Amino acid sequence: MKEKKRVRISHDFREQLGLVLEGDGVNYCYQCGACVGDCPTARFSEDFNPRTIMQSVLYGLKEEIASDTLPVWMCSNCFTCFDRCPQEVKPIEVIIALKNLMASEGIVPKGVEAAAAGILKTGRSAIVSNTTVRRREELGLPPLEELDAGELRTLLDADANGEGEK
Amino acid sequence: MKLAFFPGCMIQVRFPQMEAAVRKTAPALDVELIDLPGLGCCPDPVFFKSLHKLDWLTLAARNLAIAEQAGLDFVTICSGCTETLAEASHLLNDDADLRGQVNERLHKIGMEYNGGVATRHLITVLRDNLGFERLTASVTRPLTGLRVGVHYGCHLLKPRKIMQVDDPDHPTVFEDMLRAIGAEPVDHVERVICCGKSCRDCNLPEEMTLTVLRSLKTAEVDMMGVICPSCFDSFDIGQIKISRKHKLGYTIPPVYYFQLLALAQGLTPAEVGLDKHKIKSERLLTL
Repeated sequence: MKEKKRVRISHDFREQLGLVLEGDGVNYCYQCGACVGDCPTARFSEDFNPRTIMQSVLYGLKEEIASDTLPVWMCSNCFTCFDRCPQEVKPIEVIIALKNLMASEGIVPKGVEAAAAGILKTGRSAIVSNTTVRRREELGLPPLEELDAGELRTLLDADANGEGEK
Repeated sequence: MKLAFFPGCMIQVRFPQMEAAVRKTAPALDVELIDLPGLGCCPDPVFFKSLHKLDWLTLAARNLAIAEQAGLDFVTICSGCTETLAEASHLLNDDADLRGQVNERLHKIGMEYNGGVATRHLITVLRDNLGFERLTASVTRPLTGLRVGVHYGCHLLKPRKIMQVDDPDHPTVFEDMLRAIGAEPVDHVERVICCGKSCRDCNLPEEMTLTVLRSLKTAEVDMMGVICPSCFDSFDIGQIKISRKHKLGYTIPPVYYFQLLALAQGLTPAEVGLDKHKIKSERLLTL
């Protein structure tokens, strides 16, 4: 006989998530599944389902959703669930809040942190190369302004590597 | 019409041909693009936001504060920047406590944001403020007979309540803009699906991009019209990788709307960098 998994409901996790901007929207979720129908990620993968992610949050099943690979990082960030939800849960924003919470514990997929750190190093999300400079010249565009990324770091209390004091 | 120009990092750095197309077509549309000093990354609505949403909001508020100081609204040309700045405005205008919290941080660098800046994509400005007639009036070489399959992408239209551009399920704005310059928009099944670029999973971006490409192939388009630099990336170099892997031989050129407008205004393909795309449209290059 298949062993039944016991669900231990934990409200702490939901409360913790509620402290992140728009992480508390999940409390209005009544599990209707409107977020699933037009979700492109759910269409292409059985491993991602916004309704079950909301359910896991409601139960406080942190270990099911807090990993650097699956499933929240599969989200396409398309905002369709934001538009579909009759309860204004904004599932995408709850998923982003989950990512924020995981990031504060150091759980981040490769590449994501580097992309964000680049912004605090140069002010831009893309690296200006010699090709960029040459191509802009050829197209008759003005040269790119040198940005004061130090100002951005001051704003966020981050150090020179773009690491924030969270 | 005078607007603060927010070209965004990805366009400025990786796809400057898009910025060139906008700067070169704007004068004929009576749009004056004002370059404000000090604007940083919007910041990006996917990775940066996923690490720390309040930091994301704070950097967006800094950009908005710069425009507010100059007394101008933002005009954007990248869907991602449009989403970030519009959503940030929405959050800050909606919640005085949150605005106070963000302003406390902005005060550290001598700035403040009071909710006075609207952010609109250039196509929304064209439709609502200037009118598509102005697009048509600027055309000297209509793109007659050019079959363009539209790929809308997500962030131009969604979230609907915040973006207020068009119905995300049945949008028409892109097709209307194509008709305004003489091209023929071609309907296809996967017109509004995501390109998959933001999924952190090796298979999903490929599957979604491939789904769009198959849809366009079936519709027998000459090229695909895009409005977002991230989508462009998926369909330019991304298409080459996918097509090679699946031995499809797909070469559907992705073209940014304002590059098409530039050609319709009589500019040369090289002036808007069409010769620099990985998948080139021979038809456009020989115009």
